Amino acid sequence: MRNILTITQYTFKEAFSRKIFLTFFGISSFVLLIFSLIFYFVGFDNLTGMAGTSNEMTDNVLTQVADFFKMMIVMPLFGGGLFLSIFSASSFIPNMLEKGNIDLILSKPVSRSQVIWGKFLGGISIVLLNIAYLVLGIWLLIGLKFSVWGASILVTILSITFAFAVLYALIILIGVLTRSSLLAMMMSYLIFFILSPILATREQFYDFLDNKFVEHIIDGFYYFLPKTSEIASITASLATGGGIDSYQPIISSFLFMILSIGISIFIFSKKDY
Amino acid sequence: MNIIEVNNLTKIYGGKLTKRKVTALDDFSLQVKEGNIFGLLGPNGAGKTTLIKVLLGIAFATHGNCKLFGKDIAEYKQKKMVGYLPENHRFPSYLTAEDVMKYFAALSGYRNSNLNGRIDELLKIVKMDQWKKVKVKKYSKGMMQRLGLAQAMLHDPKLIFLDEPTDGVDPIGRKEIREVLTNLKKDGKTIFLNSHLLSEVELVSDRVAILNKGRLLQEGSVEELTTTKETFHLELENEISDEELESKWKEFNLSRRDGKYIAPVGSVDRLNVLIDQLRAAGKFIKSVTPMKHSLEDMFISLINESEGR
Repeated sequence: MRNILTITQYTFKEAFSRKIFLTFFGISSFVLLIFSLIFYFVGFDNLTGMAGTSNEMTDNVLTQVADFFKMMIVMPLFGGGLFLSIFSASSFIPNMLEKGNIDLILSKPVSRSQVIWGKFLGGISIVLLNIAYLVLGIWLLIGLKFSVWGASILVTILSITFAFAVLYALIILIGVLTRSSLLAMMMSYLIFFILSPILATREQFYDFLDNKFVEHIIDGFYYFLPKTSEIASITASLATGGGIDSYQPIISSFLFMILSIGISIFIFSKKDY
Repeated sequence: MNIIEVNNLTKIYGGKLTKRKVTALDDFSLQVKEGNIFGLLGPNGAGKTTLIKVLLGIAFATHGNCKLFGKDIAEYKQKKMVGYLPENHRFPSYLTAEDVMKYFAALSGYRNSNLNGRIDELLKIVKMDQWKKVKVKKYSKGMMQRLGLAQAMLHDPKLIFLDEPTDGVDPIGRKEIREVLTNLKKDGKTIFLNSHLLSEVELVSDRVAILNKGRLLQEGSVEELTTTKETFHLELENEISDEELESKWKEFNLSRRDGKYIAPVGSVDRLNVLIDQLRAAGKFIKSVTPMKHSLEDMFISLINESEGR
């Protein structure tokens, strides 16, 4: 466990040495500052436009306004935050596997599975920290401004980090297989921006397809690949206090993550460096 | 006690599905005793680095077995007692020398309440103490080698593998590294040194092995390997004239250099025949010494021989 923590800690350092995570942090701070200024200078009445209405109505409006601000943060954070995180994390494994670096790591009393777990946890921790900073910040600002202290938005810290963890497991697998950060990044973006949204709406295309075999193949892809698109919808629902309609996207994405990490460890343990 | 044991090790690169296979080590066996500086010599691509990689679990053997400290190398925890300086190593560029040392101390499982003191001590030994807080991306090749050496010694390992440790280091630095190695030996450490710089290996090693195309060509002490049993130096009281060399002693191909006679007799038996004849001719022999050649001469001749040149 100590070895995993050491590698996690230094992956964390590596991430911070990249300007991208600092940029992420900077943008988060800037967004929080902008919201603070808006909340400070724009009066409550101006925001709600409901001065003089009953308490119940005011509460409803306040909740709606608070939800609006939550969505303004959470959804761009899901898309933009993951985009930046994938961009930065895609080189963790290829960098580690560079000749002269991996030799040193493997010459130490560390098992190969510990190396992969350390890298995995390190990448996740940095993203978790960045996302938690922004979400906690906005939760605090909304709470202070509207006295809406519902903690549901805080769960999105976990759902966004989970979406990253699933894609990061794929990044690790491709990194171990090919040592290419570019390919790892491209595959993640392909799933995140193209395949997952298309597969999530696949049933709409089935009306135009009259081929059960092709439908089964597409369904196969859908159930196998990470469902970041559905996780985004779940995140939006959680942010506004809604529940989770179906756990299938979470469970199948989790299985994909475990499978990717398992294969990565297996291949990494067999390879010569 | 043998600290390293390699038995019939074969390493073939290229998987089952790959057409191109490279045999890096071919039925290679070797033992290294505790407390020795062992030099492994060979031309580029001889398999020197592969041997270290297999011993450290960085690459896997195709056949054969290896032991470190008497235990199978698959037991990775015993690497706590091993230090390693790889050839062309890379430290994460965002770390300082101090960070690098702390990182590898942690990975080595090294616990020391005075870790900072130990780091300072080692950085001073390798003359890198001034650079402790500077990021390694600003280091020259020689500085990286020095830091690499300090890293390899940090956790006080019993066995240290050094792959081309003086690569990129200036002559003064090389001398300093040799001194470090000699001091480590005095402390009872075993050092396994890979190098193609023969003169360096000759200066510090107790035993040497020569490897080519994955096969062991010769192994022994530097003394054994550089001493020939075929050619001798003879020191005589009274001179042999040039005419005599050309006539009476021609069958022995005697020649004179710097007041001594070189006798390429080919064997000790033939040397004794020569000595008998010299004595019978009234020559007084002051000394007979086997001729030595440099490790480099021996190395080149062995490599050429193994390649049928």
